[in-house]
Amino acid sequence: MPGEMAHHPQQRQFNPYSENGGTILAIAGRDFAVIAGDTRQTEGYSIQTRYAPKVFTLTDKAVLAVNGFAADGNMFVKKVKQRLEWYRHAHAKDMPLRAIARLIQTMLYAQRFFPYYVYNILGGIEDDGTGAVYSFDPVGSYEREACRAAGAASSLVQPFLDNQIYFKNQKAAPGSAHPTHLPLSTVIALVTDSFTSATERHIEVGDGLEMYIVLASGSSGQGLEGVKGLRELSTKGEAERVFVIRRDLKKD
Amino acid sequence: MSIMEINGGSVIAMVGKECVAIACDLRLGNQALTIATNFEKIFPVTDRLYLGLPGLATDVATLRERFRFRVNMYTIKEEREITPETFARLVSSTLYEKRFGPYFVEPVIAGLSPVPSASGKPEKWEPFIAATDLIGCLNFAKDFVVAGTSSDKLFGVAEGLWEPDLEWEDLFETISQTLMNAVDRDAFSGWGGIVHIITPDKVITRTLKARMD
Amino acid sequence: MFLTRSEYDRGVNTFSPEGRLFQVEYAIEAIKLGSTTVGVRTPHGVVLGVEKRVQSPLLESSSIEKIMEIDTHLGCAMSGLTADARTMIDHARVTAQNHTFTYDEPIKVESATQAVCDLALRFGESVHDEDAMMSRPFGVALLIAGIDEVGPQLFHTDPSGTFTRYDAKAIGSGSEAAQSELQDKWHKQMTLVEAQILTLRILKQVMEEKLDQHNVQLAQVTKEKGFEILDEKSLKEVIEQM
Repeated sequence: MPGEMAHHPQQRQFNPYSENGGTILAIAGRDFAVIAGDTRQTEGYSIQTRYAPKVFTLTDKAVLAVNGFAADGNMFVKKVKQRLEWYRHAHAKDMPLRAIARLIQTMLYAQRFFPYYVYNILGGIEDDGTGAVYSFDPVGSYEREACRAAGAASSLVQPFLDNQIYFKNQKAAPGSAHPTHLPLSTVIALVTDSFTSATERHIEVGDGLEMYIVLASGSSGQGLEGVKGLRELSTKGEAERVFVIRRDLKKD
Repeated sequence: MSIMEINGGSVIAMVGKECVAIACDLRLGNQALTIATNFEKIFPVTDRLYLGLPGLATDVATLRERFRFRVNMYTIKEEREITPETFARLVSSTLYEKRFGPYFVEPVIAGLSPVPSASGKPEKWEPFIAATDLIGCLNFAKDFVVAGTSSDKLFGVAEGLWEPDLEWEDLFETISQTLMNAVDRDAFSGWGGIVHIITPDKVITRTLKARMD
Repeated sequence: MFLTRSEYDRGVNTFSPEGRLFQVEYAIEAIKLGSTTVGVRTPHGVVLGVEKRVQSPLLESSSIEKIMEIDTHLGCAMSGLTADARTMIDHARVTAQNHTFTYDEPIKVESATQAVCDLALRFGESVHDEDAMMSRPFGVALLIAGIDEVGPQLFHTDPSGTFTRYDAKAIGSGSEAAQSELQDKWHKQMTLVEAQILTLRILKQVMEEKLDQHNVQLAQVTKEKGFEILDEKSLKEVIEQM
């Protein structure tokens, strides 16, 4: 009889977040920026798909990489793109990179108490023609820097970048100094090595690599010639040029 | 908080061409508080064999003494030096003895193992590295092994920097850069480092001038 | 006059059969009663000048405020019901600050002007059972001066919410004479000092009183120093150069 059954207090819970693995990375050069991410999407120990892009072009000179909870990431990119369109209508120009960076901060901080569970890295060309990388935490704290890795294998990649980009723990030969900006060919090699390393040692990284390259107007693009898997996304005539390199990573 | 992270510390070992290298940081902490910056985690076992013990400091000290005792007993009973392979088994079984109440250390073993020759005296030495988890599950890697609070960082940098058949000078540079750049991104490791390069005829020990923050 | 417009000049949101909104037109008329205000654009910056009608010798002329700052790179001069301008400038200031907060860049002159004009037609807005926020159109016209990535710009806004860009523009009671004078004297390669002098000369022509540093006000927006109202000392210097 229902009346005689004991009523125990019950608790139910809904967890609105999950973590979908993968890693993103961006490096700024003097007149270019490289923004990359792998394409594996995981949930727990399962691979949901081997091709889920995490890197998106926003404007002719801005590329955004989003890593963390994929649903939040995709929605966030969608909302950023919407804001960029509104800005275009209101102000009759594309949003400059530093303005996008600030916009992303305000959008993330607006969700301070129910955050987008994502790490963002924005790369592209600043109004003064320099390559730039901005990195964000999930609630909008941000900084412009020369390079940044985020996501599942960020702890593997970031110290490698410290060593190879910032020359940390390295002493320049007497009478010389470490370069402040690396050539494009070196950067592409470092990004590739970072991802093959991360793929080797991290189970949530692999399958495919998408590497976006934004060249400032007037940049020669030296270092891109003969690169395998290269495709230009910009149509000729635009001041800045955007390229993408798609490569396979190990699938095991 | 994890017991493995109370005192902090990291160890890495790498294989080179007829040499091996093993390195550790020098920090001893109590959670976030740094207690000492001269806490070596690598101990000599024989002339060509070293043992790294990152983990809970009390277990580091205990195991160092236990292994010294058991290696001495082995040497006396067997009347010969213990080989790296045998020592690795000794480490493994010692840890597994405490399967359900383990020592909180992740040992790293690096040494040169003698290649038997016709004369009986070894003329060739083969690099040997191994690591185990805290209950003695052995991992015989051919390239490098890492352990401690910055193991993930060490993996990332080592995977990017290491290459096969490095001469000892280059191996020293590789392991030193790997260690320093990894521990600089770890709050629980760092505050200086020490590197041992084991070659057939000598062991080169160097302390690293590293970031102290 | 009242006979012909009796029905349609009352409601602010009712078109006349000829398709006119009389209240808006009257508001535009109100500006023609205001003090003369002049704006001049040069390649180096924009100059704004206003006449301050000192109706009484007891009046503190420094308390008349007809040129106001919107942002460091944006200034504004007004003519008409200056009280109405407060609401508009307040809105412009908030919009400009919001823009800098959200985008980490100064707002464009045209965008700030557009924001002000978006307010102008709010008088019609009220849903059934709801109090209207504004009861009538603004009775003021603005000259908005500023510098952005496009360069120095001068915009004119009126009560209908229309805005137009000008090289030089005069509004207020003396605007007709002033505007034709601007048309004669303005040229592309004017220096900032030339623009200041031209502004004062035109104000002098249309003012009833003798022009001095107390009954006019000059302001300018330059790339180097942004918006600034000239103090009496520098104003006096310009007057002496006339």
